[in-house]
Amino acid sequence: MDIKGLTIKKIHHGLVKKEFSSKELTSEFFDFIKKEDGKINAFLSLAENRAMKQSELVDKNIADGKGPGILGGIPMAIKDNILIEGLHCTAASKILKDYKASYNATVINKLNDAGAIFLGKTNMDEFAMGSSTENSAFKITHNPHDLERVPGGSSGGSAAAVASEMAIAALGSDTGGSIRQPAALCGTVGLKPTYGAVSRYGVMAMASSLDQIGPFTKNVEDAALLLKTLSGQDIMDATSAPVKFGDDLLNPKIEDIKKLKVGIPEEYFVEGLDKNVADKINEVVKDLEKLGIKTKKISLPHTKYALSCYYIIMPAEVSANLSRFDGIRYGHREKADNLIDLYKKNRELGFGPESKRRILLGTFVLSSGYYDAYYGRAQKVRALIKQDFDEAFKDVDVILTPVTPTPAFKIGEKADDPLAMYLSDIFTIPVNLAGVPAVSIPVKNNKGLPIGFQLIGKHFREADILGIGQFYEKLYN
Amino acid sequence: MAEINDKILKHLAELARIEIDPKNEAKFLLDFKSILGHFEELSNLDTSGVTPMTGGTSLKNVAREDEFNEIKDQGKGVEAFPEAKDGYLKVPPVFE
Repeated sequence: MDIKGLTIKKIHHGLVKKEFSSKELTSEFFDFIKKEDGKINAFLSLAENRAMKQSELVDKNIADGKGPGILGGIPMAIKDNILIEGLHCTAASKILKDYKASYNATVINKLNDAGAIFLGKTNMDEFAMGSSTENSAFKITHNPHDLERVPGGSSGGSAAAVASEMAIAALGSDTGGSIRQPAALCGTVGLKPTYGAVSRYGVMAMASSLDQIGPFTKNVEDAALLLKTLSGQDIMDATSAPVKFGDDLLNPKIEDIKKLKVGIPEEYFVEGLDKNVADKINEVVKDLEKLGIKTKKISLPHTKYALSCYYIIMPAEVSANLSRFDGIRYGHREKADNLIDLYKKNRELGFGPESKRRILLGTFVLSSGYYDAYYGRAQKVRALIKQDFDEAFKDVDVILTPVTPTPAFKIGEKADDPLAMYLSDIFTIPVNLAGVPAVSIPVKNNKGLPIGFQLIGKHFREADILGIGQFYEKLYN
Repeated sequence: MAEINDKILKHLAELARIEIDPKNEAKFLLDFKSILGHFEELSNLDTSGVTPMTGGTSLKNVAREDEFNEIKDQGKGVEAFPEAKDGYLKVPPVFE
């Protein structure tokens, strides 16, 4: 059977009509991964035995007249900072190379209950810190559209797995753009839900006031289907919100979508934005206008401060969250003469340079004497950035921006210059600081490297951004 | 804002329980200087009277009843420990 071009709905129909079984489909995916992943390196580990057993259960349920539900039998890839009980979970760090998860993340339990199949764990920047997946301790992932280029990061393995059709969908985590940026560079859809929409229980925390889990998919409709299952309040994550998405998430109506007003912030069309990216975003504006959507120029005046604000707040939280990785509780333990040396030795050998840099930077901005000038000030700037969005959303319903300043860059191009790497996140970071939802959608009618556009919505109004996205895609079907 | 030097870097490394390989020290300092230099732009911004945003959500904390729960089986968490004894995490001595 041919697995190219399959989507969640196509698989669902195939299973319902018994055109193929879940087991046949799953083994096709493993055959393809074994052929394809040698050149892409999207996966850190495969879970073939577990996945085949999952698929047999899906088939048994179908035979018994139970299901399949819409996600039953859907082959998915999972970022390696999300826990699946019994499987290795390394966050692409040497410090966790021997660690096996002792419980399931809430999102994994939800997908398990829905009958989704987990093919394996995907490569990433160590502890989700990076924009190219080059910070993995284990391998470099290649962009399926040009193997000499990065897939973006930190969820580069998940993006590359979906873009190369080794998985129908994938999970990633997004702290400053780690779903949307690789989605844009690989040409997939990538959704960062509203802060609080999806439980983070069982995902390794990076920066807790910013992290969200979200899906990579081949089209916008599949992203909406996954969000519906992934979202909801969880007693195990105190920041999760009692959100219940309505019918407009899955079945948007053009008459409602036409009523939405889309703002285009002038601060995102600045020096450093690739001309071709800018031109393509302008084509998207025209396409949305064709749908009957009104667009207008708006201003988010504190945008230029977002990068500095983020690179203070995020490392501060990282330095606290990563303190638990010290050789005491998880995975491998290097021996030392005393306790302090044991911590130091394990952390020295276990963490890569970017993790160390961010831990030290976070320790600095929180330390006595510097706290007010850096961390305290950044928290105030964060309030101003959120206020920009609050003000803009009084006037418009959705904001349209580029996702990245340029298409995928070459492997090694920015690896030695952390600031240049950080600057590749300038258009995605403000969204996390404000806690609003945003989706990256591939620009259609584009011949070169993939380019994404970003739709940013009001808190818990994923239905608006995904609704516009679905009708945009229909223009090109 | 602040200057960073090798003395401060060593102190931070001590606080963060990280050892910096001496041959990487110069690169760390250089990167820090360029990153902290970028942060200078924040000092131009007037933030007087702004209430800091201290988390990612506007949800209010809800405290639950503090109930006693006896857990006899620590389960698979223990299996993931590098060293365990009788179901407890084994650590090197803190006091000699």
